[in-house]
Amino acid sequence: MALTGTSQAPIGRVVATEALPASPHQFHFWTALDAPVGIGAIVRVDGGGRTVHAVVTDGRGYSDLLTPLHDVVAAEGNPGSVLPPTRRAEIRLWTAAVLRQEPAEPVQPVPLADVHMADAHDVEVALRMDTYARGDERTAIPVGLYSAGGTRAPVYLDADFLLGPESAHLSISGVSGLATKTSAVVFLLNAIFQHFPARKGRVAAVCFNVKGPDLDFLDCASDLSAEDREMYAALGIRPDPFAAVRYCAPHKPDGVNLNTLRTHPTLIDSVEPLVWGLREVLDYAEVLLNRDDIDAKADAFLDFLADRVVGKPFQDEWGGHHLVESFAGLEGLFRAIFDGLEQASGRDIWRTHHVATIRKVRNRLLNVSTRCKGLVTDDAEGHDLPFGAFADRSVYVVDVAGLDQLGQDLVFTRVVSKLREHLERRDLGVENVVVFVDELNKYAPADGPETYVRKMLLDISERGRYLGLVLFGAQQFRSQVHRRVVGNAGTTVYGRMDGDELATPGYQTLSPATKIRLATLPKGELMVRHPHFTQPVFLKFPRPAVLAGRQGVDRYPPAADVPFADAVVRQLLMLDRRVTPGRARDLIAGRREDDVRRALLATRRARPADVLAFFAARLGAAVGREAASAAPAAVTPLRRVEDPYAPK
Amino acid sequence: MVHFAPQPVQQPFATARVVEGDRLCAVRVGAAEPAPDGVGFADGIQRWSVEGHFGLVPVIRAEVAAGVLVRARGTLSCTVRRVEEFLVVPAGRLAAAPRAALERVGLMVREADAGPRPHPLVDRFAAAQVIERRREALEREACGAFLAQASEPLIVDGGVRGLRGIPGAERAIGVVKHHETQFLDGPDLEVALTLPEGERSSVFTRDLDGGGTTLSWYLRLWPWTDEDLLHGLTRIERLAQNGLPADADRVSRWLMAERAPIAGRDPRWDRLLYPLHEVETLLRAQAGGWH
Repeated sequence: MALTGTSQAPIGRVVATEALPASPHQFHFWTALDAPVGIGAIVRVDGGGRTVHAVVTDGRGYSDLLTPLHDVVAAEGNPGSVLPPTRRAEIRLWTAAVLRQEPAEPVQPVPLADVHMADAHDVEVALRMDTYARGDERTAIPVGLYSAGGTRAPVYLDADFLLGPESAHLSISGVSGLATKTSAVVFLLNAIFQHFPARKGRVAAVCFNVKGPDLDFLDCASDLSAEDREMYAALGIRPDPFAAVRYCAPHKPDGVNLNTLRTHPTLIDSVEPLVWGLREVLDYAEVLLNRDDIDAKADAFLDFLADRVVGKPFQDEWGGHHLVESFAGLEGLFRAIFDGLEQASGRDIWRTHHVATIRKVRNRLLNVSTRCKGLVTDDAEGHDLPFGAFADRSVYVVDVAGLDQLGQDLVFTRVVSKLREHLERRDLGVENVVVFVDELNKYAPADGPETYVRKMLLDISERGRYLGLVLFGAQQFRSQVHRRVVGNAGTTVYGRMDGDELATPGYQTLSPATKIRLATLPKGELMVRHPHFTQPVFLKFPRPAVLAGRQGVDRYPPAADVPFADAVVRQLLMLDRRVTPGRARDLIAGRREDDVRRALLATRRARPADVLAFFAARLGAAVGREAASAAPAAVTPLRRVEDPYAPK
Repeated sequence: MVHFAPQPVQQPFATARVVEGDRLCAVRVGAAEPAPDGVGFADGIQRWSVEGHFGLVPVIRAEVAAGVLVRARGTLSCTVRRVEEFLVVPAGRLAAAPRAALERVGLMVREADAGPRPHPLVDRFAAAQVIERRREALEREACGAFLAQASEPLIVDGGVRGLRGIPGAERAIGVVKHHETQFLDGPDLEVALTLPEGERSSVFTRDLDGGGTTLSWYLRLWPWTDEDLLHGLTRIERLAQNGLPADADRVSRWLMAERAPIAGRDPRWDRLLYPLHEVETLLRAQAGGWH
C-alpha cells in the first residue's frame, strides 16, 4: 500500500468572528458539505507567514433556518409532505485544535487562510515525529496508521518516551471485547521488538495472562487479511508472530497438570511450571496480609521467621529441633509453639510475639499453600522465571488465569519485584522490560484499601522508567485505576469507550464529538496520547500477527487433564524423549505423590543428561509398608468424669 | 454608514384592465408543483455611503450587483453575477483638481443630476437615483445573460418591465412583493385583496410608458386571515409578448411550490421566495465589506 497524500486544493477556509475567534490553540473553518473531513482529521493552514497543523475536534452543521417552527409552517405541519424544491443553504463548521505552529514564536492566533487536508509529510510534522523518526538517532516505534481524507500515514511513538528514560509506561483503556486492548498491546510489543534501537539496549516483555487464553498463543501465526498485511507493510513491521516466547504456568492442585489453556499436545512442551517454595512466598508475605493484618507485630514475627527460622537449624524452648524449608516444616514449628504454650498454661507470649499474632501469621501463610496449591509447593525450592538470563526481544508469558486473586497478587508482586531487583543490579539479562498487566484496576484500584500490590505498582509508575521497568497496563475503566498510576503513563491509548466512563472528570478535556467518536470506535481503531502529540490522534492498527486467545483455543484445543502417573510420564518425556514410559510408570507406582512431585521438580530444575536416572535417584528407594501388629496397642483409658450437664 | 437604498415609490395609481373574463375574479390554481429543473432566480442589490466631501459636495461610493442562481436537483448555484463599484458626484459641481483626485482613485466616476439649489441631502437623493438605475441595468444584464444561455423560465424579484426587448424575456416571471402601486379599485380590488390561499386573480394588463404591455395577476401564497390583508399576497408580472399567458395557473402552481422552504430570516418571508432570498444573500456575502 502506497502512502497517499492529498491534493493541494484547499478543502476549507478559516473563519473567525467575535463569538468564535481564532486563537493560538483553536480555530474554526468551514468546508463544502462533501469535504472528506471528520473528527480526528489533521489539517494544515498556510497563511500570514506561518503554517499551522491542527486536528479536528468538533463539527457542526446548520442551515439558515431561523427556528424549527418555520420548517413546520413550510411543511404545513405534515412531515410527509413533498420535499421543498430548494434545499436550504447549509454549512459545515469545524473546530480544530492546534497541534503545531511554525514558526513556534511568537505564539499567535491562527491566520484566516485556506485549510488543506494533511498529507503524510504534514502528519509527520504535525505530530512532531520529524524530531525522532528520521536520521541515525531514530527512536521511532510504529503504533498505527493515521487515516483520514485520503491520507494514510504511519504514526510513531518515541521509544525514549515509551520505554524511558524521558517518560515511560502505557495505559490502555476501553470496554471489553470491543476496545481490542490486548490486540493493541500485542501489536505494539511486536513493533517494539522490531524497531527498538539496539543502541538503546536489550528489551524483553513479561506478560501476565490473567484471563482465559488471551496471551497463550503469541508464537502462533494468525491468518491476516490482505488489508492487514498492507498496513504492516506501511508501518514497516514484519507480520510475524513472536520468535521467542516462554510460557510458564502454575500446576493445578494435583501438582502435575499445568494450570493453563495452552495444553494442546503440540504446545504443552513450551510451558514451564511456575512453582514456588516457602522461601519465595515468605519474601512477599505482605501480599497475603490485608490492611487489618499489617501491623508492626505481624511484620516483626514475619521478619523473625525469615531471619532466624526458615532455612536454618532452629531449636525451640521445649527441646524441639527444626529445619524449616517447607510449609510442612513451618506447620511443624507452629504446632510445637502452640503445644508448648498450652503446656505452659497461662503463657501467651513466645519470644516476645503474642500467640494471637503467631496464629494470624500462621493462618495467612498456610492458607496460601491451600488456596494456591499448584503454585506453592511443599518443597524447599521452586521453579521460576529465568531471572538473570532474560533474552533480548523475548516474551515471557506468566499464565495466572487459573489462580485466584490471592495467587495472582502473589505471582504479580514477586515477579515484578524480582524484575526490579535484577534491573537495579543490572543483571537481568536485558536493560528494558515491559510488564503487561491486564485488568489493572484490580491491582491498582483508585479506591479501596492500600495493598502491597498497589504500593508496588505506584513505585514502578513513578520510578520504573529510571530502571528500564515499564508498565503497560490495560483496564476497562481508566477512572477506576489509581490516578498516580495512570497519571504517570506517558502514553495513553483509548479503544471503544463506555459512555458513563467518558462522563467522568478525567475526560473533560475532550470535545463532545471526540467523546462520541471514542464511544463508537470500531475494532482496530484507537485514540493515542503521547508526549510529542499536543492533541490525541485517532489511528488504525492491523490485527496482531499472532493467534488471538479464542482462535488459539479453536485451533489448539486444550488437552484434558491426565491421571497423575500419565502427567508425570508426559513431563519426563518433555525433558527427555528417550524416557521409556513403562519404566517411568514402574518407578512411580505405589509412591507417595508428594515424593514424586518433589523428584519431578528437582529433575526439571536440574535438566540432567539422563533424566530417568536422575528422577529415580531423587525419588529414592521405595520404603516397604510395615505389617501392622495384630494386637492393639495398650492404651490407658481416661478416667471417667461425671458431667453435671449430661442429659439424664 | 452604508445605505441599502429603498425601492423608489412608484406611482400610487395605475390603470389596468382585466383580460381574463369580464371582471376580476378568484381562480383556484391547483396543487403546487415545482418549476422545471434549471429554472433561474434573479435579484440585485445596491449599497452606498458618503465617503467624504469637497466643501459641501458629497462623494458617494456605491456598489451594485446582480446575479442569477440556477436550481438543479434542489441545489442552487450561481451562473451569472455582475458587480459594479463606482463613485457618484453631482454633475458639474466639482472643480478640476478634486475631480482629478477622484479619477486617481481608480473607480468610475458617475454624475448625478445637480439641482438648482445645491444641498448635500438633495445631492444624496440624486445619487441614489443613479445607483438605482445602475442596479436595474445590471439586473437586466444578468437576466439577459441567463435568458440567452438557457431555455428555462427565470423568476425575477420585482417587476419585469426592465426586461423589455431582451430575447427570451417572455420566460421571465416577476414576483412583486410591494403593493405601492394600486391597479384596481372597487369590487376588483376587494377580490384581489381578499384572495384565499392558493388562489389567483384574473389576469389584467397594463400598458407601459414607451410601449409594451405587462400582464399581471395577484397570487395569495399564504392565508391572510388573522394577518394583514397583504400577508402572502404577491403580484405576478409577465411581459405580454405573446398575448394572454395561458399558463398563469401553471406558473402560479410553481410559485406555490416555492413557499417552502421559508425565508424566515427576512421579515418579508410571506412574499419572498427562498431562492430569491438566497440570491440576495449570495450577493451581499460576496460584496463583503468595503475595501
